[in-house]
Amino acid sequence: MTGNHTHQHAGTAPMVEEVTDFEVLEIALRELAIEKGLFTAEDHRRYTEHVEQLEPAAGSRFVAKAWLDPEFRRLALDDAIAASREMGVDWLHPTGFGTPSDFTAFEVLEDTPTLHHVIVCTLCSCYPRPILGMSPEWYRTPNYRRRIVRWPRQVLAEFGLYLPEDVEVRVEDSNSKHRFMVLPVRPDGTEGWSEEQLTEIVTRDCLIGVALPKPGVTANAVRPVHPAIRPVTSD
Amino acid sequence: MGNSVLGDLSSQLRVAFHRVQDWAYPDQVDRGTFRAFMKTPHDVGGEPDPPALFEDKEEEQWELNTFVTCEVLGWRGIWTSEERRRIGNVDLGRTNYLGLPYYGRWLWAIARCLVDKRHITLGELIERVGEVRDRYAGGINGPLDAAPRTTGNTDAVARNHHHVDAIGKGDPQCFADTAGTPGFAVGDAVLVRELPTIFYTRTQEYLRGASGTVAKVSYESLAPEDEAFDREDQESEWFYIVRFRMADLWTAYTGPPNDTLQAEISERWLRPAV
Repeated sequence: MTGNHTHQHAGTAPMVEEVTDFEVLEIALRELAIEKGLFTAEDHRRYTEHVEQLEPAAGSRFVAKAWLDPEFRRLALDDAIAASREMGVDWLHPTGFGTPSDFTAFEVLEDTPTLHHVIVCTLCSCYPRPILGMSPEWYRTPNYRRRIVRWPRQVLAEFGLYLPEDVEVRVEDSNSKHRFMVLPVRPDGTEGWSEEQLTEIVTRDCLIGVALPKPGVTANAVRPVHPAIRPVTSD
Repeated sequence: MGNSVLGDLSSQLRVAFHRVQDWAYPDQVDRGTFRAFMKTPHDVGGEPDPPALFEDKEEEQWELNTFVTCEVLGWRGIWTSEERRRIGNVDLGRTNYLGLPYYGRWLWAIARCLVDKRHITLGELIERVGEVRDRYAGGINGPLDAAPRTTGNTDAVARNHHHVDAIGKGDPQCFADTAGTPGFAVGDAVLVRELPTIFYTRTQEYLRGASGTVAKVSYESLAPEDEAFDREDQESEWFYIVRFRMADLWTAYTGPPNDTLQAEISERWLRPAV
């Protein structure tokens, strides 16, 4: 960020923006790490680029293809890492051994008309970043992590997902090195659709298991967004 | 307020767990109290909490930078992500775990790791934090970014073996064929052991003592109890995805009897169910 950043508060003089304690600590640690040779500024830049190109669209395309192509579906269920590679997602990137936090064990959870999966990590916030990008804030909260493993139907209802009793709810607590993504049931009303059309209705929330794909619904439910003081800039 | 109480503070008032004196005498700490103090704060599954408004959040630049620094430290063999999880999700204690922002804890973990592993001294860190603060004392008038004075000698740094051994294989694939024959097979009935919690684990408290069925023989890996403490010298073991019936995990589970839960557990935590 450049320039003199001030913003006007109602009824007060313009305020000079103050650096936060977190920003100060972050800068201090990165400077020291580079000065000590733990990593280089170039390493940091390259990894940032890797993170910035991640997006849930990769997972959406993955599911749409699995709906249309039985052979790909079989591969997705047998070897989701190989299936990801076919979709242009290499889990070994960007280090040659994968991302340190996501590992390289990936499993696709197949929903059926009588089985619904939903994903959580009760111990931290493990999430398949290579294929879905960064996790949403709510997924990381203690509230979601505390409740989904014990009151899954109530929590899913809060997301607007009401499941009948004859559908088994299976909560996947991704507490170790496997990362998971839900393969939802292809909804009625999508007969004859192209891969592009199908991709659009597979939202990130469907891939976590807190929503079901529906014709006409191409975005996650709208939630309040807590704003950042100095949000990520993509320059 | 979104992630806890919908702004309703009065419903959160409760009888305090109050002691008139700090540092209870040893005879005043019973088993249950000891267990509560020792419980790792990251292990929140099943804790009661009222419904919340599930929110999204815009990411701060420092949060992305922090995440990337953590990952790059793993990439370059300064730590494994399991060490980061132990330091940032457990070591810092319950108050900070629940009080600091999510990436504030990641940041805390970086600082702690660099000092503990002798890459920097605490004095250097304190001085540098003071210096960066002074740099922006008059407010932010220009780019807010790290400005390293030098570029260190990357060859002179102590690093783990993992970041080299795993190249071209991945993790956990880098541990393949190191743990012998798996002790359990798909379909086996298993019991999760009730071992005490000390410092770190990834076997959740809500699973201890529960019986389930092996759904997948996953992979070989160091156990989290070793990996979290940089014990590359230890033996790897098999991991299993185990399926539990919700009704077996929670007394008075409110859903239908066929609801299930799966988790991935290392062999040391499992015994055949009788």
